[in-house]
Amino acid sequence: MAAAGKAAPLPSRDGDLGGGFLGARLPAAVGAMARSLRQLDRDTFRRLLAVTVSALEGNDCKDSVQRIAENADLSEQQLAVLISGMYTLLREALRLPLPTFKQEVFKEDLKDLRIPDDFIADFASIVFGNRRPVLEATTLKQANSLPRVKDFQWRVDVAISTSSLARALQPSILMLLKLSNGEAHRFEVPVAKFQELRYNIALILKEMNDLEKRSVLKIQD
Amino acid sequence: MFLFLCSVRKAVSLINGTDMGKFPRLLSRILQKLHLKAESNFSEEEEEKLQAAFSLEKQDLHLVLETISFILEQAVYHNLKPATLQQQLESIHLDQDKAEAFASAWAAAGQDTIEKFRQRILAPQKLETVGWQLNLQMAQSAQAKLKSPQAVLELGVSDEDSKNLKKVFVEFSHQELYEFYNKLETIQAQLDSLT
Repeated sequence: MAAAGKAAPLPSRDGDLGGGFLGARLPAAVGAMARSLRQLDRDTFRRLLAVTVSALEGNDCKDSVQRIAENADLSEQQLAVLISGMYTLLREALRLPLPTFKQEVFKEDLKDLRIPDDFIADFASIVFGNRRPVLEATTLKQANSLPRVKDFQWRVDVAISTSSLARALQPSILMLLKLSNGEAHRFEVPVAKFQELRYNIALILKEMNDLEKRSVLKIQD
Repeated sequence: MFLFLCSVRKAVSLINGTDMGKFPRLLSRILQKLHLKAESNFSEEEEEKLQAAFSLEKQDLHLVLETISFILEQAVYHNLKPATLQQQLESIHLDQDKAEAFASAWAAAGQDTIEKFRQRILAPQKLETVGWQLNLQMAQSAQAKLKSPQAVLELGVSDEDSKNLKKVFVEFSHQELYEFYNKLETIQAQLDSLT
């Protein structure tokens, strides 16, 4: 992240070496796309951009790409280069949170890649426009994490009598935990273990509160 | 109470014949392991030592051990008082010193044994361990500059059949953890209303 957040771009920067929001080394896909963009007309570009945005939202775009390939005068290879480059560029731009990522810096970086100005405007309208929350929601859904709790059901039972005790009167808790990866775990929790679980969760919450107040979170981006 | 066991008479005479010196220790040993679900309380070596100590054949020893276990399990089931237990044992012609040994072993460790039976859980899967980790997520492949706290809970669930601990990992954000905690509080309120 060399220039994102800084006022002036670095002095001697060559478009091929990268820099700016795309990182220290320019992704090859973006570089190749930038070079092919100069020969493209605005209409085809706009259609390709629409397909890329649709792909970012998680839709299947095979048909649309087919249609563009038939109408425009592009070989399969050129199409691949353009779409992969645009996809990578937009995805990297969408990673950066809005408050710290300024539109001017984005446009400057794209200018350094020698992308035509009106194409830059189109890119910027995607990244900073009102389509962004939808795109962000999709990326969050695809995010990788350990399984999360999707559903939590429980019941409290009291065992009145068992085969080993005529009068037991012992409470117990049965839990059903459904996770986001589809697993379901049904297990019984002895009362003592339940207290331990409750204590630990309260402890984690307290630590989270402390963490969120600490100055490590006030690191300047 | 114990009369319906046909082999009781043989067992009683065997028990009456055992050496009084080692008898109380045998009782408390059986009492200790009574609540465990294992089939046999004693290993092969221990059984051989017992055979020698009480000069009993293998079959007779088994009968004695099973009868003692059964007597104690009945005491647990009915929550007998030591005096009642002694009375019942004497009524099936157990010698007084042996009956007294039963009564004193029961008086010493009876309540603990009952408590252990109470805690026994019949469900196939049981929560054994709780572990956790608090992480501060700085970034991921889809998003940079995050700084969001994430908690990972590791629940050790034991399986009745396979007897090994299955580790279940669950991740929580602050909000999710707070909601989970509120549900636990509801459960606790229910438990409190029982007492």
